[in-house]
Amino acid sequence: MLLEMDSITKSYGSVTANHSVNFNLRKGEVHALIGENGAGKTTLMRILYGMERPTSGEIRINGKVVAFHDPTDAIGQNIGMVHQHFMLFPAFTIAENIVIGREPSKGLKFDRKTAIEGTLQLSQQYGMPVNPKQKVADCSLGMQQRVEILKVLYQGAEIIILDEPTGVLTPLEVKEFLISIKKLAETGKSFIIISHKLGEIMEVADRITVLRDGHITGTVNAADTNEEELSKMMVGRELVKLERRKVEYGEPVINVQSLSIKGAKAKPLLDDINFNVREGEIVGIAGISGNGQSELLQAISGLMPYDEGTITIQDVNVTGASVKQIRESGLAHIPEDRYLWGVSKDATVSDNGIMGHLESTSKYGILQGNSIKKLVSEWVQRYGIKTGSLSTKAQYLSGGNLQKLIVAREIAQQTPFLIAAEPTRGVDVGAMEIIHGELLKRRDEKAGILLVSSELTEIMKLSDRILVMYEGKIAGELDAAIATEEQISLLMAGGKAVG
Amino acid sequence: MDKMKSTLQSLLQPLIAIVAGLVIGAIAILVVDGNIIETYREMWNGAFGNMYFFTSTLARATPIILVGLGASLAFKAGFFNMGSEGQMVLGALTAAITALYVPGPAWFKAIAAIMAAMVVAGLWSALAGWLDSRFGMNLLITTLLLNYIASLFAGYMVAYPFKDSTTNSALSQTQMIDKTLWFPKLFSGMTLHIGFIIAIVSTIGLYLFIKYTKKGYQIRMLGGNPLFASYGGVNRGRLMVVSMLISGAFAGLAGASDVLGTSYRFLDGSLVSANYAWTGIMATLLASSNPIGTAIAAIFLAALQTGGMGMERNTDVPLEVSSIIQAVLILFITAKFTISFIKRKKAGAKDGSTN
Amino acid sequence: MDQLIDVSLFAAALRMITPILLAALGGAICARVGLFNVGLEGLILVGAFSAILGNYLTGSITMAILFAIGCSLLFSLLFAYMSINLQANVIVVGIAINFLAAGLTTFALRAIFNVKGAYYDKDMKGLPKIDIPLIKDIPWIGDIISGQSILVYVSIIIVILLQIYLYKTVSGFRLLAAGENPTAARSIGLPVRKIQYFAVLLSGALCGLAGAQLSLGNVTMFTEGMTSGRGFIALVATMLGQSNPIGVAGASILFGFMEALSYRLQTFSIPSNLSAMLPFVVTIIAMIFFKNNGYKDEAKKSNGSSR
Repeated sequence: MLLEMDSITKSYGSVTANHSVNFNLRKGEVHALIGENGAGKTTLMRILYGMERPTSGEIRINGKVVAFHDPTDAIGQNIGMVHQHFMLFPAFTIAENIVIGREPSKGLKFDRKTAIEGTLQLSQQYGMPVNPKQKVADCSLGMQQRVEILKVLYQGAEIIILDEPTGVLTPLEVKEFLISIKKLAETGKSFIIISHKLGEIMEVADRITVLRDGHITGTVNAADTNEEELSKMMVGRELVKLERRKVEYGEPVINVQSLSIKGAKAKPLLDDINFNVREGEIVGIAGISGNGQSELLQAISGLMPYDEGTITIQDVNVTGASVKQIRESGLAHIPEDRYLWGVSKDATVSDNGIMGHLESTSKYGILQGNSIKKLVSEWVQRYGIKTGSLSTKAQYLSGGNLQKLIVAREIAQQTPFLIAAEPTRGVDVGAMEIIHGELLKRRDEKAGILLVSSELTEIMKLSDRILVMYEGKIAGELDAAIATEEQISLLMAGGKAVG
Repeated sequence: MDKMKSTLQSLLQPLIAIVAGLVIGAIAILVVDGNIIETYREMWNGAFGNMYFFTSTLARATPIILVGLGASLAFKAGFFNMGSEGQMVLGALTAAITALYVPGPAWFKAIAAIMAAMVVAGLWSALAGWLDSRFGMNLLITTLLLNYIASLFAGYMVAYPFKDSTTNSALSQTQMIDKTLWFPKLFSGMTLHIGFIIAIVSTIGLYLFIKYTKKGYQIRMLGGNPLFASYGGVNRGRLMVVSMLISGAFAGLAGASDVLGTSYRFLDGSLVSANYAWTGIMATLLASSNPIGTAIAAIFLAALQTGGMGMERNTDVPLEVSSIIQAVLILFITAKFTISFIKRKKAGAKDGSTN
Repeated sequence: MDQLIDVSLFAAALRMITPILLAALGGAICARVGLFNVGLEGLILVGAFSAILGNYLTGSITMAILFAIGCSLLFSLLFAYMSINLQANVIVVGIAINFLAAGLTTFALRAIFNVKGAYYDKDMKGLPKIDIPLIKDIPWIGDIISGQSILVYVSIIIVILLQIYLYKTVSGFRLLAAGENPTAARSIGLPVRKIQYFAVLLSGALCGLAGAQLSLGNVTMFTEGMTSGRGFIALVATMLGQSNPIGVAGASILFGFMEALSYRLQTFSIPSNLSAMLPFVVTIIAMIFFKNNGYKDEAKKSNGSSR
């Protein structure tokens, strides 16, 4: 056995991320590690890569016990890791990114010429073409992924850990990527792939280990299993299916016309976006993250200036208006990154709750303690938000509870138009069901909802109409009732060659 | 449970800082061959020993509290306003000139002087806020640089156009303002004046403002996470200018209170060498921008300074020991920021690393 | 003196540039590893005081310079420990360093020299002026460039060395990497903390030299708070020069020249209070041309989700 991880346990205070986990890897094998968000996959791999130390348990490589104090030790044992968020230096060239840490040198001098030659040689050897002199900032995400893998290979890795490697890739890039993984495995490299995308896993993996709540639920050969069985192992129970109810759509609550943002680079961030959302309708925006969704949302909500275009909310022209004016015209907004936009971590639950509700909770500019308490505690009860008290700081709430607070706050605005961006990212299944239920209820109350999500299943489940974004454009519009995942995936890839 | 723990901790940390300050101060006293116990006793007496010294300490604390309040407001909103000194100097200059040259009854002159000082200092401070929100010029740096310009300008004003020509003094200063304008003393024969009452009322006012008003809420949120605030509809640029305006106005009030309550004229360099403004900023840092804590810290720092003077009068230990103790306090404050930061990081890691 | 601009103005400018330049280089190297060093002012002050003290104790110029470097190093070590190990807010640490430097130098002035405000000894020797053969005979240029203190020349050499170090050596490459993306640097096993320590200590040493030039080069005395804002001007020079040694040198030349000009203007019966504003006004105007990172980026760094 090339690698054995034996009864690994990792605790953070009272939270245990891994319970006595056993995991092994053969030479030339692709071994997938799957599980829901928070199942403990990343923790296990961070232990293997020396970024965390296990509370107990041991790691053996070729039968020999090893102990890693930092990534350098792991790299020394020929272990490489490609992180979910790329660990690249945007201002440096591809060659510089690949050789960093093991730079070719002449005396003290950094020998950039040799670095470029080495990069070219490596890229030919493994059939992954790159331009060594290109700056990483100018590379597509697919290219950056390639650089990451070449970097790991340059470091001489035999065991390669890939953490959610396809999350940011287009379907086409994913295909290419899976093929190169298989090829590399044939040359004797061994892979551990962390993922929750079952289709891709079934395609590339030899063996699959499933984690749930930090426990192993089983290790199976890919040939002996199927996606249904795996998802049962991951979730542990059947999910309640939401019933779709036929509703009549009313007048448009928002109308976006020829919205464009040029941006600093050659390609525009947003390119002539046109759409509307009607009363009682959920419009889903699908797309790989980074194709203009964030910019679109920020432009609509007044957080980002735009070069061209007209936006009307409820027949009020809000083009170029301030956030406050736009909100007053009838917008509420569940932001895509809750820590970045959605809360102030050091402020209390009730302080975080009243943002945007100041009109109803203050008199003559003075905050009304009683009405604040009434308002926020009602949400706590209705959404089942687990918090010590209303004066607990937001940072002590778990991600799911914090998200519920944000959703409650924004839905309570009772606005005709609601933006829900990644409303369930990183929350547990229970919170997800509550949030989805509340969104549908709001729709039934005739609000128009713009749902942006990188989870295709979420889009398919909630939307009435689906828009697909690709490179700052709306690449297509589909009726959710008849759209298929294949259709959407194709549009998400832009329909043209990417690389 | 959490609450009790955090209250205990918030009490413990300043205590440790003070003990550490006194220990390092003791070493400094040893360095200059002083007697530690005797020196500290003299220091205590100099600050609190009798009614006169005690009220002198409070009188000294008055401008420090006011400056500190201004700084705390800016810090709460997330802006490192380091320009209190320049703002205070301009405020003092304006107060002196207004008191000297505006016609009218005494009460009117005094109020006009205070108002003018607050407006001028506030605008000077708001200028830095505007430069940041409009041109993206780093407020921390501009306020630091504006200090020098303000002090030099005030120096010019009292060296040339408004120089006191009634005496032959070579000092760059304005004439003395009329006695009828002077702040009334709180106790006869003591230096403590009504400015202290103004400072205490301001402290409570600012505390209530920050905690219970809509604007105060917006300021807190802006300081906590500016993205969250702008997402929620808070206009950062405007609030930046407004909070810098108020922050500067407090510094101007401090300057006016010194002119009308203690100095009775503007003397070039006197406010700078007394170090009121920087001590006020220190007080704010010590109290993590809490207005009431700022006032308490200001009184404590003032006591260190008046105590230091008493110590210097009665022992061979130089006054500068006080500045050592202050410096150590500040270092511990940075460490305090730290402890809470580490805790936050650990708390974050709990749900962050299991994704 | 009846001319506004003449040879001696440029020679004076070169003297004034040096402390700003040295400190700004220190600030640049800190900025390169992601630490905004507001404590430059305090570090220079410590350097200036300890240069005088070293000279007083040993009577040797070389020892005085080394002593200045040593003391500033010690202070920068404190900055490094607070901001790197304890992860305290660097701005607060920088302000604290400035307070500490002001407090300690004031105390030491009193405790060691038993004077208040300033220490001056007419027998104390400043940094020797060096005449450069050949160059000193060139008219104009010779009068400007030759006959400066050794630290003026050292600072020019340091600019070149730093430029080469950052952009041509492996170690410099890694330093840039540690600042560009510390998480990524850590993931490939670069000792980010050590690199940051190195940068802060280097800035300490540079500020020590800056202080020595201030108290032993430009004058031969120490006055309380004699840095009078130079550290902050250096900080702006760092920003303006985009933390690139040559760029920083350019910005420092501008500010140093303004300082020299402000002294010169005094001889034209312009009140010193007004002429002394010149460097600060020019510095603020120069900041318009430097685009701040923007609060959004700052906030993204400190509030970003842990994911």
